[in-house]
Amino acid sequence: MSKAADKTSILAAVKELPGNVWKSIFRNPLPTNDLERSSTSFTNFFLHIHPVKVHKNSLRPAYTLGLGLISFFLFVILIVTGILLMFYYVPSTSQAYDRMLDLRGTVAFGTILRNMHRWSAHGMVAMVFLHLCRVFLTGSYKKPREFNWVVGVILFLLTLGMSFTGYLLPWDQLAFWAITVGTAIAGYAPIIGKDIQFLLMGGTSVGQEALLRFYVLHVAVLPAILTLMIAIHFWRIRKDGGLSRPADADPTPPMEMMGASADPKPVQLEPRKTYGLQGLVRGPLTKVNNIPDNTVFSWPNLFLAELFVFIMTLSAILVLALLFNAPLEEPVNVMHPPNPAKAPWYFLGLQEMVSYSAFWGGIGVPGVFVGLLFITPYLDRSPKGVGKWFSRDRLLANTIFISFVLANVVFVIIGTFFRGPNWAFVTPW
Amino acid sequence: MRFALAIGTFLILFIHGVVLYNQFSHKWERHQIAYFDQARAQAKSDAERAALEDRKPRIEQTVVADFGETRVARCVTCHIASDDPRFSGYQQPLKTHPYSVAMGDVQKDGRWERRHKFSEFGCTVCHDGQGRGLSPEFAHGNDEFWPDPLLGYATQPTWRKDLVPMLRGKEYLEANCAQCHPGSEFKGTPTVNRGMQLFYASNCYGCHRIEGMSDGTIGPDLSEVGRKFKIDYIYARIKDPKSVLATSIMPRFNMLNDEDIKALVIFLKSRKGRNFSETEMERYHLRATGGAELVQAHIKPVAINPAQMVKQGEQLINDRACTACHKLGAKDGAIAPDLSFEGLIREPQWLDAHFRNPRSTMPDSIMPSFRFTEDEFKAMTAYLSGLRTAPPAPTPEATYKALCLRCHGEKGDGRGPIAEHLDPSPRDFTKAAFMNSKTMTRLVGSVRKGVAGTSMPAWGKLLDEQQATNLLGYIQTAFVKEARTDLKPHTVPETNPVPSSPESIKRGQATFVENCAGCHGKRGDGKGPNSLDILPKPRNLRNAFFLETVEDKRLFDSILYGVQGTAMPSWTDYGFDNNTVGDLVNFIRNLNPKPKGGQNAGTI
Amino acid sequence: MAVNLKRSSGGGTAEVNVSRRRMLGWITGTGLVGSGVLSALSNFVFIKPRATYGQPQRFSIGKPDDFPAGTRITLEARRICVVREGSRLAAISTTCTHLGCIVGLSDTGFACPCHGSRFDTDGTVTGGPAPRALPWFKITLAPNGEIEVDKDIEVAPGSYLTL
Repeated sequence: MSKAADKTSILAAVKELPGNVWKSIFRNPLPTNDLERSSTSFTNFFLHIHPVKVHKNSLRPAYTLGLGLISFFLFVILIVTGILLMFYYVPSTSQAYDRMLDLRGTVAFGTILRNMHRWSAHGMVAMVFLHLCRVFLTGSYKKPREFNWVVGVILFLLTLGMSFTGYLLPWDQLAFWAITVGTAIAGYAPIIGKDIQFLLMGGTSVGQEALLRFYVLHVAVLPAILTLMIAIHFWRIRKDGGLSRPADADPTPPMEMMGASADPKPVQLEPRKTYGLQGLVRGPLTKVNNIPDNTVFSWPNLFLAELFVFIMTLSAILVLALLFNAPLEEPVNVMHPPNPAKAPWYFLGLQEMVSYSAFWGGIGVPGVFVGLLFITPYLDRSPKGVGKWFSRDRLLANTIFISFVLANVVFVIIGTFFRGPNWAFVTPW
Repeated sequence: MRFALAIGTFLILFIHGVVLYNQFSHKWERHQIAYFDQARAQAKSDAERAALEDRKPRIEQTVVADFGETRVARCVTCHIASDDPRFSGYQQPLKTHPYSVAMGDVQKDGRWERRHKFSEFGCTVCHDGQGRGLSPEFAHGNDEFWPDPLLGYATQPTWRKDLVPMLRGKEYLEANCAQCHPGSEFKGTPTVNRGMQLFYASNCYGCHRIEGMSDGTIGPDLSEVGRKFKIDYIYARIKDPKSVLATSIMPRFNMLNDEDIKALVIFLKSRKGRNFSETEMERYHLRATGGAELVQAHIKPVAINPAQMVKQGEQLINDRACTACHKLGAKDGAIAPDLSFEGLIREPQWLDAHFRNPRSTMPDSIMPSFRFTEDEFKAMTAYLSGLRTAPPAPTPEATYKALCLRCHGEKGDGRGPIAEHLDPSPRDFTKAAFMNSKTMTRLVGSVRKGVAGTSMPAWGKLLDEQQATNLLGYIQTAFVKEARTDLKPHTVPETNPVPSSPESIKRGQATFVENCAGCHGKRGDGKGPNSLDILPKPRNLRNAFFLETVEDKRLFDSILYGVQGTAMPSWTDYGFDNNTVGDLVNFIRNLNPKPKGGQNAGTI
Repeated sequence: MAVNLKRSSGGGTAEVNVSRRRMLGWITGTGLVGSGVLSALSNFVFIKPRATYGQPQRFSIGKPDDFPAGTRITLEARRICVVREGSRLAAISTTCTHLGCIVGLSDTGFACPCHGSRFDTDGTVTGGPAPRALPWFKITLAPNGEIEVDKDIEVAPGSYLTL
């Protein structure tokens, strides 16, 4: 090759540098045809977790309400803000509260980050619970999604655990007594209750050991498990055939004569997910895209929808964080419990029930409820009523579930607003 | 949706902008810039101008490690001119901290020199407040959650509005001066010293313990009260104890005026457990000995000379401020009974026992057990027993005013000036149902013999049979206001027909727990869960002195037919018969072993 | 969620749709990228402490009388050496410019015990691996009559405070 050619090729390379860098990262241009749309989905690390095509039913906002996604995005916000807050936090009884004061007054963006973290945490508890309600009320836990439902229930419990362990970290009166009360509720469990309480607190009362333990659980143990479980949850959504949908959401597949030519039998083609990666196909026939279905390409439909949910979630949290400050009460005074000392709001239902009966309120009823949640998909084997809100076929199951949920909500409301000093009944106005 | 997306992202961008802007515009920066400008304008020499060169707004702080836990004081971020004498005429926050000879500042060659250098003490060691705060609200502790707001300057929204004026003033700073200058003779802390005197003069020490100063055990330990509570709480707690805690038994000390209370609050605010002046050895010694000798140093025992016992007793009663609660002659603490004619209404043995342990003669008394020597007890008893001059009382009305009003009240409703501190509470004469259901003999008996185990003394030495009857006549017309009617005779056994036996007591206990414990308490001490809402309070059935004077007949009557004008119902309506009540009476009698000495009831 | 899958073919409304959509896309993109840049920036601002937890950078070292003429004394906790010549005062850093050890006073100036760097009395390097002279800090007479050193502000070697 001549030098001139070399020169031109280098010049050309420099000229094309930005484009080439861009292409090396994003293999596809913005897609304009179906091939590029599917290619975009599975060649991008962040997008390949999505299917190439997605069922129209999954994109109906009225069906999913976006609750699962909101929960996930809140978790992402929590991780980001949480890691940032870790830069200034010290899990020590003598320093934790001072660090809170610094975050509030001295550290740039300290207040807004703490607010975002706080409100996202409360939001995540609420959203995960609503997501659980959505899945139940649409019967989506039924075969083949039984296991993913169980994973979901575990995720719900982990979320509560995350929020509960984080509650102690500011080390103010609110935190200290809420955790004292909360761990005491755990102590009501039969046989192992006292041991759990001792294990959680690392001592007989909430102190330095408890703070360190809660910190480790909050920033390392629980997030790791939660992330793993979320991965399994997402993976199973795809392996279980996407989001649940009613049986009539798909057009009836065509009949085809199959078998030896002498004795052909009419067989109904199953609307399997046959458009997998690289066109590898499962199922009886290579009928890619030949079976009519109700799917659309994930790009841009699903991705735009997800972006939309993300933007809405983030805006909501930012607005909340700008308007309302996370509470920071007096520094811990072990001698002076507030009256009444209340657990975090999502445990106030428990605390309210404990005030009636220690065992039944703290362990019996919630234990039965969680146990029922776990085995529901294995008890309710009827395939009817999947993919529809409040299906008539699921009247009994939904009624039981709603009454449990309403009871808990009522107890939480009573515990939050109607309980004054000495846990006496007060009216909030 | 795309439109909503666009709006959403712009909302996020906008909030980012707002937050970013907020982080780069601070009030304290403006204060610092103003300071630099002013200082430059005032600079007289090149050196002064050079000192200001390159100064940029930033968070200024003093880190103080020598006084307790490390303190970070960022106060100088706004109060940047606090140590710049040129700014004495400016407005806060750019005002020089005043110089004060009293605080040890000295003037040398026309230049002031501070004794307490800010670089060594910081700000919060003296002023409290939140050193880490950078906005006035948080830094001054104006938010309700900060435990140490600026002493004497900052108030919080939850504080009682009517008390706020009394909670301001630079005297409050003395509480922190006393952390390093604890001596009661230290001239810099006159209010703390006055508060300490009041602590003894008002007999606070009788109930409250302060390490090394007093060892009372009835009220809470106040050794660290200044660290635990804000001044508004301490103030309200002294001013009106029940307004803060409804179940408090602490009396309201009416003789303390607002300035006195303020001094007490400042003294108590200075009690923060270990102070900066205390050495490790002093601390160890205090803990090892319980501080008894220090307490003795504050409350010095008096050597009693038998020849001068009465005089020394009088001296003691004056010095130890008995009249902080009691009335004696012209002095009146308005909390406890009148001692002016004590010799006529109480026996010397009773007085002696009452001094040593007030609850040994009156089980529900709130009087603390004071620390006196054996001789001192005797001297005080001798003095009080000698007070035998009856007040002049020509008419029954005058008698009532002189003897009864203090407890039973001007209106005869049992709410006299000291009534709230007496347990059981004085009888309410306006409850005609009660007064008219008791025989005249019993009422006269109560007046002349007193009611054992209560604050009602035996008036027999002041009032004869006729005078007592006349007095009751006055009460009848003035307060009861209903004519007495003939009493329906109740059929009750003269003595308990059921012989006392372990089985009978057991049966009685079962009945008691089931029917009576709600008011009288499961221990029979009158402190059942319902007792809070009942007036007069349920009888304390463990008051042995009282129970000893009550015959079976009266117990049967009260249980079977109830006590009119009180919450005690007639239990015949609930199917009680003489056997049930007999078991109950045996149970109640069994609660009270016969009291020793029998010096409870007055003798005539 | 009604995203039209197939491009509408022809028609004026469709073109308006497309250009409107493109504009909204640009707005969204700008918003997202802008927010991203701002949050990244904010995060760096967040991580940089605005107040440190050790001793403050500007501090008082006492009155001029505390340092008689001829003083040459290191304040180890503050990591400075206070020099007074006649009525001139200076504060020289005692942190070695090589790798941050603490230099000690020597007959000829300063010497670093870690890697043998040597400095003269003004802090100029005379031997060893140190790349730069020891910095001088701003030293002023504060209005309250005390001497203040500000370690945030370096001054040229030889700039004394004249009393």
